[in-house]
Amino acid sequence: MVPRELYHAGPKTRDEAVQRDGKPVPAWAEMFESYGRHGSGVLKDWREAALRISRDRGLAYRPDRGDGSNWTLDPIPWIFSPEEWQSIETGVSQKLRLSAAILADLYGEQKLIDKGLIPASIILSHRGFLRALHDYPPGGKAIGLGMTAFDIAKDAGGRTYILNDRFDCPYGLGVALENRTVVNRVLPNLFRRCQVRRIGYFFADWFDYLAEKSPSGTDTPRIVILDSNTGGESSEISFLANYCGITRVGPFDLTVRGGKVWLKALSGLKPVDVIWKATYGRDLDPLEANRPHSAEGITGIFQALRESNVAVASHPGAEVLQSPGLFPFLAPICRNLLGEELILPPAATWWCGDKRARQYVLDHLPSMVVKSVGHHSDFRTRYGQRLSASELGELKAMIEAEPERYVGQEELNISTVPASTPSGLVPRSAVVRSFAFLDGKGLPHVMPGGLGRVSTAEGIIISTRESGESKDIWVRSHYPDAPISIARRLAQSRGISPEVVPSRRGENLYWAGRYGERTDSISRFANRLVVGRSSGFSYGRDLEARHEKTLIEALFRIFEVDGWMEKVKDPDERLKLILSDSFCPIGVGPNLSSFHRACMAAREEWSVTSILAIESARENWFTNTKGFDSPYPYEAELEKLELSLAAFHGLNLDSMTRDEAWGLLDAGRRIERMATLTALLSYVLEVNEPEPMATLLNESVLFVSDSLGTYQTKFLTVPTTGLTLTLLLGEEDYPRSLRYLLERLENVLNKLKPPAKRPHPRDRIPPMREELARFVTELNPETGTTDQSRKAALDFLASCRRQLKELSDYITTSYFSHAGNQG
Amino acid sequence: MNTVRYHIRHRTAYFYSGRIDLCHSLAHLRPREDEGLEMTSHKIEVTPEPRFQRERRDYFGNTTNYFAIQQSHELLDVVATTTVTKADFTPPLPVAAVAWDKLRVPPNGKDSSGVRLLNYILPTNACPRLAAAADFLKPSLIPGRDVMELVNQVMGRIHREFHYVPGATDTTTPLEKVLKQRQGVCQDFAHVMIAALRPLEIPVRYVSGYLETLPPPGQVKLQGADATHAWIEAFSPTTGWVGFDPTNNCLPGGQHIKICHGRDYFDVQPLKGIFLGNGTQDLVVQVDVERM
Repeated sequence: MVPRELYHAGPKTRDEAVQRDGKPVPAWAEMFESYGRHGSGVLKDWREAALRISRDRGLAYRPDRGDGSNWTLDPIPWIFSPEEWQSIETGVSQKLRLSAAILADLYGEQKLIDKGLIPASIILSHRGFLRALHDYPPGGKAIGLGMTAFDIAKDAGGRTYILNDRFDCPYGLGVALENRTVVNRVLPNLFRRCQVRRIGYFFADWFDYLAEKSPSGTDTPRIVILDSNTGGESSEISFLANYCGITRVGPFDLTVRGGKVWLKALSGLKPVDVIWKATYGRDLDPLEANRPHSAEGITGIFQALRESNVAVASHPGAEVLQSPGLFPFLAPICRNLLGEELILPPAATWWCGDKRARQYVLDHLPSMVVKSVGHHSDFRTRYGQRLSASELGELKAMIEAEPERYVGQEELNISTVPASTPSGLVPRSAVVRSFAFLDGKGLPHVMPGGLGRVSTAEGIIISTRESGESKDIWVRSHYPDAPISIARRLAQSRGISPEVVPSRRGENLYWAGRYGERTDSISRFANRLVVGRSSGFSYGRDLEARHEKTLIEALFRIFEVDGWMEKVKDPDERLKLILSDSFCPIGVGPNLSSFHRACMAAREEWSVTSILAIESARENWFTNTKGFDSPYPYEAELEKLELSLAAFHGLNLDSMTRDEAWGLLDAGRRIERMATLTALLSYVLEVNEPEPMATLLNESVLFVSDSLGTYQTKFLTVPTTGLTLTLLLGEEDYPRSLRYLLERLENVLNKLKPPAKRPHPRDRIPPMREELARFVTELNPETGTTDQSRKAALDFLASCRRQLKELSDYITTSYFSHAGNQG
Repeated sequence: MNTVRYHIRHRTAYFYSGRIDLCHSLAHLRPREDEGLEMTSHKIEVTPEPRFQRERRDYFGNTTNYFAIQQSHELLDVVATTTVTKADFTPPLPVAAVAWDKLRVPPNGKDSSGVRLLNYILPTNACPRLAAAADFLKPSLIPGRDVMELVNQVMGRIHREFHYVPGATDTTTPLEKVLKQRQGVCQDFAHVMIAALRPLEIPVRYVSGYLETLPPPGQVKLQGADATHAWIEAFSPTTGWVGFDPTNNCLPGGQHIKICHGRDYFDVQPLKGIFLGNGTQDLVVQVDVERM
């Protein structure tokens, strides 16, 4: 018996874990035993452990994409006996074969429509039916169904249903993988005792299939996973890509030339053989899209498909199968196409395009779920139970006006599973998202596991659009599975082309380097300004105010935003621009955000801890500084920010391979540091302030360059222009000096392969170093005090700044833009 | 039967302000030959020369050309030259022998070219179901009226109640606005007619084509003075497809040369291109329809 104080299933529906007589369902016995042994207090520990492991692995940050990928994890798994899962697997396999046959028919002969088994209007009005691909039927080299998801639920009577199908770009596979990784570590003993089946084999088989579908016949096909361009924040897809060791790309990373698809990589265009897409098929080719003004996509890819030069999983037109309009017709279609009875039916559904069915829906509207057939985004699913009389009247009018656009569906009384809450285990309705695909021989593969999704409170509908909790699915086995490492298995079994760095990711790395460094510099400026306000430098208030003005103007000039300087004159307002403005290009916040964005767009490059450093830097800054109404409290936050940034760079130094990705990140940092340094020195020489302001400014220059301490130790004197220049430009083996930075830059640029038919960017460094060496020999403590020496220094700095800018442009055009390359 | 032969030159040129490095295009420029039009010659010349080019049939049975230009260019010039022979007469308005309120098109029926008629009944993005279109149609809905007579009457009303104002709209103007301002060009009038008639479940399709224009008496015809044209075709089981030109309030005759048909303009856009590069573009379209 499961003690009622541990878990008490509700009377209203079936519970998957506890039987009516209070005994645990056998598959759950060990779970309850373990839970009972620890006592209900252990739930809190498990939840905390899950959260900590997620965080450690960089999984805890799931920004809301509006598609449910922010489902948090309930560590209590949903457990299936081998026999129960077997029956689900049989049903899912059949549904998969059925769906593949329907898809082939719809993009082929359409016999199902001719025979009246599917009303034409359901297909032809669906936005996922792509007329452009009428001559690209699934079969042969064309993939039909790729990775597919089915939402499975049981009702109070224990009957199993498929509530929804996702054929186009099912989300949740990455979340399922993440959940497994975490739960496995929270409950390792229970996991072992239950002999839970491993899910790695499923992925290995999936990649075997994708590699087999490569049309080129090469031994090492290039497989990429296609995310949306803005998917920089989609951790789910990144996680899948990392786990499987394939390149995650956005549409901008791919281009079509000569009827073939190419990846724009740092090292040039690379042919792409197979695309596993996590984007909607209807948006895939803007040239042939249904919409007149399509969103981003890969122009020309449909022709590449027709040429059989690339394979895309799933077929871009597979979304049409998701229409709930098909539900009422599935059983007869199944009999017709497969000669079998449908094992896992949808919930009872009526298509309003049929007169009698419509009448039934209208008569029972308060107990119906009304859905759109065409998947038109303007209609939100309505639950009759939750509508007022007037809302029901409105819905009735909508159905009567265009009946063929709607179906009515019976609302199921979905069974419950134990869900962990702060107050213990409670029964909650839940659905399993099961993942499956058909291999090249037409054999179904069903993942032994999946994504469990739990309603947030009793009686709340489980919707992918709402956030909630997710569960790992445990399928028990009579025999233990051996653990498997996918990446290793993939590397062994089949040659899949190694991951390359897409240009766009390279560009983001370069800018992560630049923005990271820029944020750091600005933060040091800001720190200096705040400290100046709070303590003063014992130079008197007038001087202090003038110093602040000069420093802020230097900042405006360095980053070439003179417009803001003209617009904002008041010193307090100017300080606010830097500390708290959300838009000003010299503000800490906007630069930190740009840094974060660039990092996230290249997130596969970072270690888990690095990601944590970036995330917490941003989170802390924006959360902690909210509501600051004076500059003073910023000091501590700026210091924390600098520390986080230093931690990020330190972690990268420790964990990143010294490859071309590293080369770009580090080049970005060094170029930014040199650009800021030379611009700042130029400004100070230009304003040419007399003493004592000159000393104060030199001190500030050294402070923002993080060199004040070094200067004082080395020269034991107040900062003079000549000595400041000597230290910051010419010092040997000093990481803050231009000399050292140039040396290191030349070194790190070596990591980049030479661009096609153009000189290597590192060739631009030796002349700069020679110029610096010549200038340094003329440096002396008096430099800056005479007009002549000031002019020489300014000329040198101007030349250096120009060359740095040219170098940056050269790197951009050589590596990040492929517009000029020929296919 | 009298026939007429036309030589047609259709030039589309894009002048870009910067250099374009990659351009993918889809053309609907080859006239259909399955409806009484005989083609003696047809060629499409593209400058610069495309590296990759393919011709195929689209969903509606039209011929479309895909081409990709992968070298840097500042001008894209597409010239379609066609010689066709066709009947030189205007058919009389046929009788459907069924009233618009009695018309039933089989839900999975196809037309003679094998395309499901339902495609031409369902709303599209460019021709959605609009209350304004229904309001416009209302006065014409006399019970028992022959389908073709109704279509003809609606054509006449569009001709009278809408003003032909070049530049008043572009291809992105929503139909709702066209209905409100009661002005537009041939494309808009075709779309209005489609949106008005389709809710009655009359299959209606959009036709792109050319129209021969004649200079005023005593004057020489100007080069490039013609334009692409648009009209519609409506279906009834007895008559098959019948053309109606709401811009000129006539049934298309010898001077109408059909290129393609589809659900709306976007299915048969003569030239659609997506380019990669910076800058803006200037578009020049010149059409010469010459009677031989």
